[in-house]
Amino acid sequence: MKTKPLSQDPGSKRYSYRINKEENRKELKHVKIDESSLVQQGQKIDLPKKRYYRQRAHSNPFSDHQLEYPVSPQDMDWSKLYPYYNDGGTGQMTKKVTIADIGCGFGGLMIDLSPAFPEDLILGMEIRVQVTNYVEDRIIALRNNTASKHGFQNINVLRGNAMKFLPNFFEKGQLSKMFFCFPDPHFKQRKHKARIITNTLLSEYAYVLKEGGVVYTITDVKDLHEWMVKHLEEHPLFERLSKEWEDNDKCVKIMRNATEEGKKVERKKGDKFVACFTRLPTPMIL
Amino acid sequence: MTVIHPLQDTLTSRDGSLIFAIIKNCILSFRYQSSNEWELVGKWSDDFDKTQEIKKNVARDQQRQTSENENKNKKLKSNKGDSITKTVAKVPSPGIGAPPIYSYIRNLKLTADDSRLIACADSDKSVLIFDVDRASKTNILKLTKRFSFPKRPNAITVAEDGTTVIVADKFGDVYSIDINSNPEEKFTQEPILGHVSMLTDVHMMKDSTGHTFLITSDRDEHIKISHYPQCFIVDKWLFGHKHFVSSICCDKDSLLLSAGGDVNIFAWDWKTGETLSTFDYSGLIKPYLSDQHLAPSRFQNEDNSIIEFAVSRIVKLSNLPFAAFFVEATKCIMILEISEKEKGKLSLKQIINLPYNVISLSAQNDELQVTLDNQKSPNVQNNFVKFIQYNPNDCVFVDNDEKSNKFDDVITQSVGRDSNLNAEEECVYPLYNISSLRKHGEHYS
Repeated sequence: MKTKPLSQDPGSKRYSYRINKEENRKELKHVKIDESSLVQQGQKIDLPKKRYYRQRAHSNPFSDHQLEYPVSPQDMDWSKLYPYYNDGGTGQMTKKVTIADIGCGFGGLMIDLSPAFPEDLILGMEIRVQVTNYVEDRIIALRNNTASKHGFQNINVLRGNAMKFLPNFFEKGQLSKMFFCFPDPHFKQRKHKARIITNTLLSEYAYVLKEGGVVYTITDVKDLHEWMVKHLEEHPLFERLSKEWEDNDKCVKIMRNATEEGKKVERKKGDKFVACFTRLPTPMIL
Repeated sequence: MTVIHPLQDTLTSRDGSLIFAIIKNCILSFRYQSSNEWELVGKWSDDFDKTQEIKKNVARDQQRQTSENENKNKKLKSNKGDSITKTVAKVPSPGIGAPPIYSYIRNLKLTADDSRLIACADSDKSVLIFDVDRASKTNILKLTKRFSFPKRPNAITVAEDGTTVIVADKFGDVYSIDINSNPEEKFTQEPILGHVSMLTDVHMMKDSTGHTFLITSDRDEHIKISHYPQCFIVDKWLFGHKHFVSSICCDKDSLLLSAGGDVNIFAWDWKTGETLSTFDYSGLIKPYLSDQHLAPSRFQNEDNSIIEFAVSRIVKLSNLPFAAFFVEATKCIMILEISEKEKGKLSLKQIINLPYNVISLSAQNDELQVTLDNQKSPNVQNNFVKFIQYNPNDCVFVDNDEKSNKFDDVITQSVGRDSNLNAEEECVYPLYNISSLRKHGEHYS
C-alpha cells in the first residue's frame, strides 16, 4: 500500500501541528488584535516553525488552482486582512494597500517593511498554500506578541495567483511599490512565459502602479536578472533607477537583507542582483 | 453510416452574395445567385504535411545535442563501445490508440472590402490569408500567405485598414501581423499584449473621439481593454463574470455584450466600464437541456444532478437592435432585443427552435446563419444551414426556407461525393468544445 504523505498521516507530528495551527488561524485570522482582546491576555504565541510548512518549491501559475479572489477590486473586503484600519463607525477602510510583495514567500520582507512604512498597508501574495499558512501564522503571532504597540497591523498575506488575478485586487494606480524578490527563475526557454516579469505582464503592473511608483527586483540568478532588466527597460512605461538611487533607498537595503532567500544567498556567499524601475507617466494616447 | 460532415462554421460576405463554410479541414465558398440558386465557386483544403516540419525540428535538436556532447567530450556509444554518429532524424509516429488529430479550420474573417478571407488552421497553428477573386471561374479562393505561430491562434480580428490582423492565441498572447509582410522563417515576434489565460475572443473598436482599443476576453473571467497601437497601456478591465467568457460582440455607442459560462449575458458600456444590464437565460434554456449538459463524471455529484451549460457564441446584427446567442448543444437560438430607450437593457425577443443542435452562429446585415449538427437526418440529409432573416413587416425572425433548402441541395450535389468531406459517425470532428473551458479548481496546492 502506498503510504500517505506525512502531511496527511494523523500520527505524524507535522499533521497534528498543522491541524492545531489551522484551528488557531480560523479563530484569529480576521480578528482585530489589540490590548483589549481577550484571546491572548498577555499570553505569547510562539512563532510558527518552518519545518512544519514544507511543500514543493514550485507551483504552476497556469493551472486552475482553487483560489479565492474578488470579482473586482470594489468587491474586496480588506477589513478582514487589516481589521485595525477598519473604521468601526462607518465600516470603511481608512487606508488602501499601497505596497505589494509579489511572491512574498515566508514573509521576511514584509515583516521588515512593516515598521519602516507604518503609514502604508502592505500585502504579500503567495501561490503556495502551506507557505501562505506559515505567513498567516507568523503575522498572527507577531500581532499578538506586540499587541500593546499595535505592531504588524499593516501587513498581511493572500494566497493568490498574481499573474492572473492582480487586477481583481487593485485599482488603477493604487500601488506605489511592487516587490519581486527572488522569483522562480524558470530556466527553460519554453517556460519563460511563466516568469513573473514578461513584457505582457509588465503592462498590467504598470496599470496597478501609480505614476512614479517603483518596481523592485532582486535575484541571485544572473540570467534572470538580465531578463528582468531587459524586459523592464524595453517597456515604454518603465525606466531604470540609478545605482545611486538604489544605494540611498531604504527598501533596497531591506530587500537585500530581510528576505529568507536573501539570507540563504548570503550564507552561501552568492551574488545578489538588484534592479529598480520607476513607472513613467502614461504618454499621450495616440 | 457515412454522412456529409456537418458544417462547423460559416461566414457571409457583406453584400450577401458569398458564403464561406468550414467542413473539417476544408473551406468551401458558395455564391447566391439572383435566380435564388447556390453555386459552388471555391474550395480549399488544408493538406499541410507535418512530417517535414517534425523532421526538421528533430534534426535540429539532434544537431544541437551532438554539438553539446562534442563540447563535453561525450560521444554516443553503441553497446560494443564503438562511437556512433546519428545523421538521419527519426520521426516519431503515433502508436495504436493515439488520439486522432483533427485539423480544424477556425475563425473565418473578411477584410472590410471583402477582398480577402482570413482563417486559422490548426495543423500548423497558422493564420491563412486568401485572396477572394470573384472573377475566377474555377476557384475564387487563392491562398496567398500562411503565417505560422508558436501557439494555436484562437481568435482573430481585422483592423479597419484591411492589412493588420490581430491574432489571439490559446496561450494568452496577442500578436499583430501585417498581411503584406512575408511570413518569417523563424518566429521572432513579440506579443503586443497578453493574458495569463487562454484567449477566447478579440475585437478592435474605435470610440467617439477616434481612439482605437483592443478588447480581449479569456478563460478566466477577464475582459481587458487596451489602447491600440499603444497596447502596453491597459485602459481597464470589465469585471463581473464569474466563469469563463467565450464570446463578445460590440455595437455602436460603446455597447459590448459578453457571454460564456455564466447564466447571465452581460451588457457593458466599455468606454465607462459600467455594467449596463445582465440577462439571465438559465430559466429559458432549461427545456432545451439534455444529458449532454451533465457535468463531467469526475466533477459530478452522487445524484448525477450537476448541470453545466455555456453560451458558445453571441453575435450582434449590425443594422438592427438585436443580438443572438446559443447555448452549446441545444436546439435553439435566442434573440435578444437591445432597448433603444434605455441603453443596454436586454429583453427576450424570440426563441427560434431548430431541428438539431446548433454548431455555429454568425450574423451579416439582417440575417443569421446557423449551422446544425444534422448527422442524424433520416433518409435524405438536410438542414445543414438555416438562414434566419428579420421580417420588418411582422417584426419577427423567420427561417428563409427556400434559401436554406436550396443550400442543402448545393451541399448534397457538390460535396456529397467528396470522400474527404464525408465521414463515418465516429470520425466526425468534435463539435462541442466550449463547455470544457469551465474551470473546476482541480489543483489544491
